[in-house]
Amino acid sequence: MKRGGGWFRFAFLAPAMGLYGLLFLYPVAQAFFMSLFNWSGLSDNREYVGLKNFQDLAKDKIFVGAIQHNLIIFVGCGIAVLLIAIVVAHLLQGNGRLTKALRASYLLPHMVSMVIVAVMWRFIFNPTLGPVTIIAKALGVKDPPAWLGDTKTALLCVMVAFIWYGFCFYSMLFAAGIKGIPEEIYEAADLDGVRPWQRFRQITWPLLWSIKRMTLTHVAIATMNMFALVQLMTAGGPNRSSEVMLTYLYETGFSNSDFGYATALATVNLVVVLAVAGVINFIYRRNPSGGRDS
Amino acid sequence: MMRVTLVSMVVGAGLLLAGCGSGGGSESASGGASKSSGFAALKMGNKVEVSSFQGGYGLDMFEEFGKEFAAAKKVEVKVGGDPRIWLQLQPRFVGGNPPDLTWPGWGMDYWKLVKENQLMQLDEALDSMAADGKTKWRETFEPGLLALGQEDGKTWMLPYHFNINGWWANKTVFDKNGLKVPTTYEELLTVGEQLKAKGIAPITFQGQYPYYSIFGFVLPWAISAGGMQQLDDMQNLVPGAWGSAAVVKAAEMMTELRTKGFFQSGATGMSHTESQSEFLLGKAAMIPCGTWLHSEMKDVWPKGAEAVFMLPPALASGKDATNICVGIEPWVIPAKGKNPLGGIELYKYMTTQENAVRFVEAKGTLMGIKGANEKAKLPEHLKEPARLFGQSQAVWSPMFSIWYPKFKKALEGATAQLMNGEITPKQFAEACEAAAEETRNDAKVMKHKYSRG
Repeated sequence: MKRGGGWFRFAFLAPAMGLYGLLFLYPVAQAFFMSLFNWSGLSDNREYVGLKNFQDLAKDKIFVGAIQHNLIIFVGCGIAVLLIAIVVAHLLQGNGRLTKALRASYLLPHMVSMVIVAVMWRFIFNPTLGPVTIIAKALGVKDPPAWLGDTKTALLCVMVAFIWYGFCFYSMLFAAGIKGIPEEIYEAADLDGVRPWQRFRQITWPLLWSIKRMTLTHVAIATMNMFALVQLMTAGGPNRSSEVMLTYLYETGFSNSDFGYATALATVNLVVVLAVAGVINFIYRRNPSGGRDS
Repeated sequence: MMRVTLVSMVVGAGLLLAGCGSGGGSESASGGASKSSGFAALKMGNKVEVSSFQGGYGLDMFEEFGKEFAAAKKVEVKVGGDPRIWLQLQPRFVGGNPPDLTWPGWGMDYWKLVKENQLMQLDEALDSMAADGKTKWRETFEPGLLALGQEDGKTWMLPYHFNINGWWANKTVFDKNGLKVPTTYEELLTVGEQLKAKGIAPITFQGQYPYYSIFGFVLPWAISAGGMQQLDDMQNLVPGAWGSAAVVKAAEMMTELRTKGFFQSGATGMSHTESQSEFLLGKAAMIPCGTWLHSEMKDVWPKGAEAVFMLPPALASGKDATNICVGIEPWVIPAKGKNPLGGIELYKYMTTQENAVRFVEAKGTLMGIKGANEKAKLPEHLKEPARLFGQSQAVWSPMFSIWYPKFKKALEGATAQLMNGEITPKQFAEACEAAAEETRNDAKVMKHKYSRG
């Protein structure tokens, strides 16, 4: 390409950059601007308070608890999803009848609306009619917990629902990743007498580096921005034991009519998501196989 | 309709209704808005826009009233609604183009609208003639319910239908087992054991929404132990009121019921419809809920099930056993609507006694319009609450829960913990008091003062 084509290139990039600026950067900047005000969200009366909303957030125990819950969900769901997805991705590699049946059905949970997922899992955890309660009683648990109504189990129930909803999507990513590994590598390993576990540990796992990075980044974004599932299953309760950042944001904006504070919370939420995604990408900055970053 | 429940409870305050022995109103510590509503200067436009919460009562009656009003006044009336109407109204209030008449629903922060000068002060309109041309419009409403929408003597919200909160007993269960519905806490303990012996849970509750337990157990029993002044002090966040012996006593009663196994297993994890279904199916004998139970559950009401209204069984030695909890679901006239007079005139038409009677009979609810409930053919299930209401010496509503939503949420958390057996009654009262203190000290929270006559 010739040098000096900067304006030419800019002209091609300008529409996309313009849309990005209009649809992402401007709302983010506006949200940050609104977070500098005390504003009810019910009129155009606003009082400039500077960074006070952020100072209050730093002292807000509910918000700190919500971030912790988001992180617990991320770590718990991230590990579970990663493990389940790798197993399912391997099961998808064959050509047998079972594999074909699995291939036809494994994505179904992800096709269901999040609202339906929440309603379904609410029923599954129903303390009288729900299958989990019935199974627990059949296994001899005399007085099973109220699941969604118990501070010790509510967050776990939400995580289970998310894992069920999310594992299939990540299985698809891992299946594609495994398919992308050249067959010759496995053939060479077989000739060397490599056992299945070594084959996985020495070849598959390292070569799925970019898939793992993408999966964890995606899980981080999905779990740090989790809202509908929590709102519909527990609304953050009981006693805020499953409160996450966005349910608290919703409550602050729409129940407490404190939109200035809610937008400060949204700003911090964005920073937290970026930070977690940044840490993941830092950890996965080097491809252990020496391959090209993709 | 679960949230209708909430509004019914949150917008009210303990006040005098006709024939009742207490009264009151609400006073704001931070003041209201304009001195005059400018009612006299209003001109009627040719279009009236109505936005209504679309809950269990639907929109059909409002549409019908709108059509009749449009035909009579030769104006165009547009009635719209949504189950989340407040979310649609918020940007319209901010943008200065709200509708002319609205029932904004349970999610709207009504008193913040007052603070933000978004509502029309309605006193001049109330002093004008009603739609029948015979009396002042103000005379149309039950005075105690009208007072629920007042602050500093100014009226901002108007009542329409109202709810009575209490408990329901499954009559089929009680009759079948030859048991009598308890009227005191002591009787409850006896009946509860008898029900348990028959394999029926004495009480279930809407554990996922702990405000049902606050309004159904904590507050009535705190009143029972401490009297009406105790409730007033709690509403006004008087230091020590939420940590008082009366609140500890109420929590002890709840704990006693829990440890005796009177609450249905798993109730802490049940939604409103789940627990109400369990109750109607006869798996539990009693449930705290308001007069909306029938409209909320009508689609799943089991054949043959019969529920009778009852007051929360108070202590036999209680200080006030004749109080009742009510609430309204108010309508408002936005100050910046294009045709506020149109909104007022339409609401005058909706609140004539004749139309109120039509609404009672069509929707099966009690109305805050004088004489309507007496004149209407009340559904069977409303006769007992109406009778108990008429007998009550004091009428109250948990106003604090709409004034201070964050405080309410903290109380809900403590209540959930208490019902789960995670904290003691004393710790419960301490948690409530700590939340009250935090609210008192929060400069951002607009404070209110509640007073009863």
